[in-house]
Amino acid sequence: MYRLSKLRFGFPIGLFLFLFLDGSISQVFSTHLFRYSAVMVSHLVVLWLICAILFEDRIDMPLARWAAVMGAVFDLYYTGIFGVYVFIFPLVVYLTRVLTRYISPNFLSGLLIYFIDITLVEALGYLASRMVHLTNMAGSTFLVTTLGPTLALNLALFVILYFPIRWVYNWLN
Amino acid sequence: MQKFSFNRRLVIIIVCLIVSFALMTLSVAIRNKRSTPPLIQQFGNDIVGLADRVVALPANGLSGSVSSLSELLNTYQENQQLKKQVGELAQTKVRDQTLAKENKQLKKQIGLNASLTDYTAITAAVITRTPSSWQNQVVINKGSSAGVVKNMPVMSGSGLVGRIAEVNKTNSKVELITDNNDSANRFAVQITTKSGKTVNGVLSGFNANSGEITMNNLTTKAKISKGDKVVTSGLGGVTPKGLYVGQVAKSTGDDYGLSTKLYITPATDLSSLNIVTVAVTKQ
Repeated sequence: MYRLSKLRFGFPIGLFLFLFLDGSISQVFSTHLFRYSAVMVSHLVVLWLICAILFEDRIDMPLARWAAVMGAVFDLYYTGIFGVYVFIFPLVVYLTRVLTRYISPNFLSGLLIYFIDITLVEALGYLASRMVHLTNMAGSTFLVTTLGPTLALNLALFVILYFPIRWVYNWLN
Repeated sequence: MQKFSFNRRLVIIIVCLIVSFALMTLSVAIRNKRSTPPLIQQFGNDIVGLADRVVALPANGLSGSVSSLSELLNTYQENQQLKKQVGELAQTKVRDQTLAKENKQLKKQIGLNASLTDYTAITAAVITRTPSSWQNQVVINKGSSAGVVKNMPVMSGSGLVGRIAEVNKTNSKVELITDNNDSANRFAVQITTKSGKTVNGVLSGFNANSGEITMNNLTTKAKISKGDKVVTSGLGGVTPKGLYVGQVAKSTGDDYGLSTKLYITPATDLSSLNIVTVAVTKQ
């Protein structure tokens, strides 16, 4: 099924497109996103991965492997510190798979799942950065200045992009 | 059986954690010590960088046209103000040319080939920015093939914005001075006070709340006042002398009352960078 569908090529292309869009959005809107009091980080790659699980749960895609590849590209190209997102992205995919076993995926439960995923991505990224001394921000400051605004931005993006992405997946399938 | 699978999962998690931590430590060590990343990483980054341009160019172009449209609205006012400045600038430029010429002749007389102030510039465009709150980095479209070397200072507009943190063949990463990590390079700077004294020091960090660069451990008796200009001193490495960093915003005693702490307003808006200049010193 997966071998024959357009998804086989469409999915990785979408993945890379969203990865680069993350960087471009950060660059174009850097004045608004990276304020000192509130930092918003877009995680569109995660959105594309999660939507693949929400919409295409019947088709067996090598999602965790693609997530690891995306994490590796993210680490090498964007941050330059290897070994952070290469583990976080597959973990998020695994977590979402576990969650969809208990919650039937629709728009609202998808929002909830995405909320948990983004929290995980940001929190683990923060812990990793603390460990290698990239930041010395206190945990409470992280919650207020980074996690909160990032969640707000990404949930807004989820609401805006949920139906377009579903349309794309339907078209690819 | 249930117990066995739980144990296996635990082992996998722990192994992943250890491997992750080892990889992170290794890459931070490589990043701090070596002038270029490993060849495979360079190669991968070059390919990803090329692919990224397909997305980044339309996005940056679109934002450019939108901002030029909004800038069109206050062009008239700006034009009025700028006209006044141009008159003064012509005067300064002519004087600057004369002085540069004289400087060149004098250097020739004493047989000095290159001094700390000499540098050539490489202009580069910003492709993308790291979507992370922990690293203020941008990726620019010039790399080692254009002559970029690690730790070179990067400027934008009128002032210093950061330094080259990683060099690939066709692109490189710039770590902005807003980045506060432990391994970030701190620039050696000097301040010329109103009374004509020169104070040397090293930038020590960035205060995210006020958006100002901080400078610690100054033990000078000279009085530094608000508005004094801060420029790089060219001491200790690849940074040329005389790159503008910013103006002194505030001068206070430090936490223990032993030395002076300065707050410096950056010369350029560090949050929006499109075109940057890499300063290459002759060595």
